Amino acid sequence: MQPKKSARSTQEPRWLRYSLIGIALAFLLSFLFLPLVFVFVQALAKGVDTYLDALKEPDAWSAIRLTLITAAIAVPFNLVFGVAASWAIARFEFKGKAFLVSLIDLPFAVSPVICGLIYILLFGSHGWIGPWLQDHDIKIVFAIPGIVLATVFVTFPFVARELIPLMQAQGKDEEEAAISLGASGFQTFWRVTLPNVKWGLIYGVILCNARAMGEFGAVSVVSGHIRGETNTMPLHIEILYNEYQQAAAFAVASLLALLALVTLVLKSVVEWRLRKELAAQDELPPDGLPATPRTAHA
Amino acid sequence: MSIDIQNISKRFGPFVALDNINLSLPTGELTALLGPSGCGKTTLLRIIAGMESADQGQVLFSGNDATHLHTRDRQVGFVFQHYALFRHMTVFENVAFGLRVKPRKERPSDAEIRQKVTHLLQLVQLDWLADRYPSQLSGGQRQRIALARALAVEPKVLLLDEPFGALDTKVRKELRRWLRHLHDEVHITSVFVTHDQEEALEVADRVVVLNKGKIEQIGTPDEVYSHPATPFVYQFLGNVNVFHSRIHGSWAEIAKQEHQGEAVAFVRPHDIEITRDAGQGALQGTVRFVHPIGPVVRVELAHQSETIEVELSRERQQQLDLRVGEVTYFRPRQVQVFEDVQDFVI
Repeated sequence: MQPKKSARSTQEPRWLRYSLIGIALAFLLSFLFLPLVFVFVQALAKGVDTYLDALKEPDAWSAIRLTLITAAIAVPFNLVFGVAASWAIARFEFKGKAFLVSLIDLPFAVSPVICGLIYILLFGSHGWIGPWLQDHDIKIVFAIPGIVLATVFVTFPFVARELIPLMQAQGKDEEEAAISLGASGFQTFWRVTLPNVKWGLIYGVILCNARAMGEFGAVSVVSGHIRGETNTMPLHIEILYNEYQQAAAFAVASLLALLALVTLVLKSVVEWRLRKELAAQDELPPDGLPATPRTAHA
Repeated sequence: MSIDIQNISKRFGPFVALDNINLSLPTGELTALLGPSGCGKTTLLRIIAGMESADQGQVLFSGNDATHLHTRDRQVGFVFQHYALFRHMTVFENVAFGLRVKPRKERPSDAEIRQKVTHLLQLVQLDWLADRYPSQLSGGQRQRIALARALAVEPKVLLLDEPFGALDTKVRKELRRWLRHLHDEVHITSVFVTHDQEEALEVADRVVVLNKGKIEQIGTPDEVYSHPATPFVYQFLGNVNVFHSRIHGSWAEIAKQEHQGEAVAFVRPHDIEITRDAGQGALQGTVRFVHPIGPVVRVELAHQSETIEVELSRERQQQLDLRVGEVTYFRPRQVQVFEDVQDFVI
């Protein structure tokens, strides 16, 4: 009568628990899982040959290549920027720190279309430095540089957002310890700071990469939709779909869906590692057994 | 290496952390910086380490100006309150860190590093933990590893910031005894910060009592406890009865001075004697409470409007057999009087 009942007294009744779980599952199934299955079903609806042909088609291939190039530039750039910004924010006190933090969040707050428009206004033929660029024969808007710039802008916050709270939670004790032991700034960064935030960094990079490859709005504005030249995968899918090439559209879409699935798996693995790391930095009971890893949410 | 601190001041915005501190720490001594939180003791330690820069003043190491020397060039070992072990390295690698980051020319060979780290782990009696990660150790073990890591680079000065602050009482007592023995073995100039007066009195060769960014007293543990220079030190080091404007009669006789103006008398609870009969100069009090606490018995007496705390040995209480409500007599054995004391709080 005592322990079993009292342990449950803080819980909701069984019917409520199961109906809540049921509603959540039904929602996830119908709004997330079914559409994903539908993408693959549609892509393969006309057989595997049609599917492969759609991917081998030169314009599709060029879109895939452009998407990879964009991600290959944007992700490393934001990796470097993200580490630098979080290092500065987590370790130093300076004027305008709050402003810098909000600035990093700006791409989340602004609609991607606006991001694209900003670059048109800056670099377009009627923009601020557009004429100068034209005189020097530099193409930014409606060309690959514009697409990369827009992608970099949109994916700006991912790495920094992930690292700042992690680095703030870890504090600077370990770095100060390293320096007092004679390590140089670079040695401290390479041997202490970076290994400590490794999993957070990878997590940020995965999210950043997923967004860089999947970005539509901002890229759509600056791309100019030149087939085989300035179309990324999401843009190419839209064009195919508008031209009633259902199977081809879904074939390319299935690649992005696949990317999402891979991202999801990687994310789960990394999250698990990250959680272990956070648990490890929790205080242990002074002379007792090591603490059990806490069941944190990420 | 001796450390000289000259006219050091430090502010954080409007808050004065250190106000014109002058202090010299002789070679080989173990000094405690003791004070309540916010008194500036950790700031002073971090200034010695070079992790914080002073607004004014100088830090001299062996007589040479080290004020602008970078932390990594100061040859100080620093031990943090929360250990600050490198969480992704094994215990062995933690201790070896300082040796591995040395410039190539000075860096010892792998065999030498192995030998040295093993030796240090033996010194802190944890060589059997070499392959573990910090998260697998208890707090006391972590702090000993942190100490071994700091000693690996053969620092000229060892600085410890509340080294036992995060540990429970029993482990803390063991560790501070162990630190005392270790210091007797390696004899390195050491400074440790603490807010625990018992810790400072037990471990240190010299105690520096700080309050509100200023030094209240410097002395051996016995000096600061037996002859506190200021009311603050008196109150901070142990329990005390405070009597305002009552410096006459037996109190004055014991204090061997007569005071006219405002003055405050301080008496430690164990410096008061309770007797059954009214001897010369004894005051009358009513027993309010009798609490046996471990080896001592704490008695509260009501004397006029004041409450007086007295500590007796168990044996003495057995002789006296004090009961609540009884009228008895008490007489201070030792009184210290401070004149013109402003209101102060701890």
